[in-house]
Amino acid sequence: MTHTLHRQGTVESLSRDYPMVTVACHAVPESVKGAGPKIAKFLEIAKKNGAINVGDMKQGSIYFDNLDINKICDNVSDTTIAECVFDNLEGVKKTLLELKELDMGLPMVVSGLLEPVSKMLKEIGLEVHTVAQSLGVWGKTELLPRKEVLEITTMCGHHMVSPRLVEKFIDDIKKGKNTPEKAAKVLTKQCCCGIFNEHRTAELLRKACS
Amino acid sequence: MRLGAEQWRVFLHWKEVINNRKTRYIEETADDNKSSKEESVIKIDEEKCVGCELCVPYCTVGAISISDGVANINQDDCVECGVCIRSGICPVDAFEETPSPWPRSLRAILSNPLVESPDTRVPGRGTEEVKTNDVSGRAKPGFVGFAVEMGRPGVSTSMRDVQKMTMALAPLGVGFEAENPVTFWITDKKTGKLRDDILNEKSLSAIIEFGIPIEKLPSVIEVLRKMEKEVDTVFSCCVASKVLPDGSIPAEKILKDMGVTVRPNCKTNVGLGRPRFKFTY
Repeated sequence: MTHTLHRQGTVESLSRDYPMVTVACHAVPESVKGAGPKIAKFLEIAKKNGAINVGDMKQGSIYFDNLDINKICDNVSDTTIAECVFDNLEGVKKTLLELKELDMGLPMVVSGLLEPVSKMLKEIGLEVHTVAQSLGVWGKTELLPRKEVLEITTMCGHHMVSPRLVEKFIDDIKKGKNTPEKAAKVLTKQCCCGIFNEHRTAELLRKACS
Repeated sequence: MRLGAEQWRVFLHWKEVINNRKTRYIEETADDNKSSKEESVIKIDEEKCVGCELCVPYCTVGAISISDGVANINQDDCVECGVCIRSGICPVDAFEETPSPWPRSLRAILSNPLVESPDTRVPGRGTEEVKTNDVSGRAKPGFVGFAVEMGRPGVSTSMRDVQKMTMALAPLGVGFEAENPVTFWITDKKTGKLRDDILNEKSLSAIIEFGIPIEKLPSVIEVLRKMEKEVDTVFSCCVASKVLPDGSIPAEKILKDMGVTVRPNCKTNVGLGRPRFKFTY
């Protein structure tokens, strides 16, 4: 557990950060067979409803490999884990409503602030079925990068975004050699899965430089 | 968006490396006599390197430095996540990749999300956990799933520290998650002892996953508090629970009573999976 969990930041900032994840249940083989087209449908629906990053663990993301969303959808396998991220809850709601209507049987996870997610699920007749809750970071926390950097790097749960690169970009932006938007795009590209939130990254870089 | 020639080259190169690595891992996992230091997976061709330093900040664990005008990789610190190569940042293509032998190959299995574990056949370090609980029924009422992710966020961990944690948890009678890569390397589930040949290895992180009856949750928290002082890294903790029909999450009260902070953001399975597992309460 769990690459979309453990994202750090204020509640205000996290309110613009909602990843979604799906994977067919391997313990029930009949639910895996034919899951690929359903997963592709999920990615299409998510993109249509404003997902700002989309990807698949076996192919990469629209940023990571510069893959076209149609190309990702055409090659989704039954056994992959597919992901996307929204910068608003309304897009998640629209996506879930369509998925509920289609009733494809794909397990679906929404990551993000439990309170608004829970309220939204109730509104559309879905449930908080199971939760994975973060208890934060323990141990030698003095080894961690500073908070402003962690808020960015923890958006890639595999930690493919180096704290040193974030520090360099903050420095470059302060010196006028880079912009938050350009730097956010490069940082987003390092995450393979499609859950790194480019918009929130630009916002956090701007804040770190102010 | 279309891939440029250089991006295609990096992409195809990486795919090939992954395939080669999977084959090599399966062939070599049985051979415990190979030294982890005799061959590394990522090196820099000093003839090609121009010492531009562009790659240095991309390294997730700070293992790349410049000396004598060329980049060097500290092979002990390198966790083989592959970011230096995949980023395509090197202007002269100086990074070289060769499949590493077991046990060094463990580094990429745990640190590179594009490498599928040959044991679990799942890309990444973990399992399906709550993602499919509406179908699998894995996290049941009265039980909690627990994950201790050693080295996360971004600090990295030695497998010795992972073993310290598995050995501290095992006496509680926790049920280590069978499909997790780390569990495959525990030689004795009663003691939590890991295979000796992996103890000198490192990874960006390693997830110890287990299930426990909810009444054992306080004992786990006590062990974790003790281990904070025993390990030379950080660890991120996570509790997975089936939400009860009245919307309550029983683990929350226990954690609150113990003074453990539960973060406001979490992962929520929304119950759209089919066939639906029938839980009894």
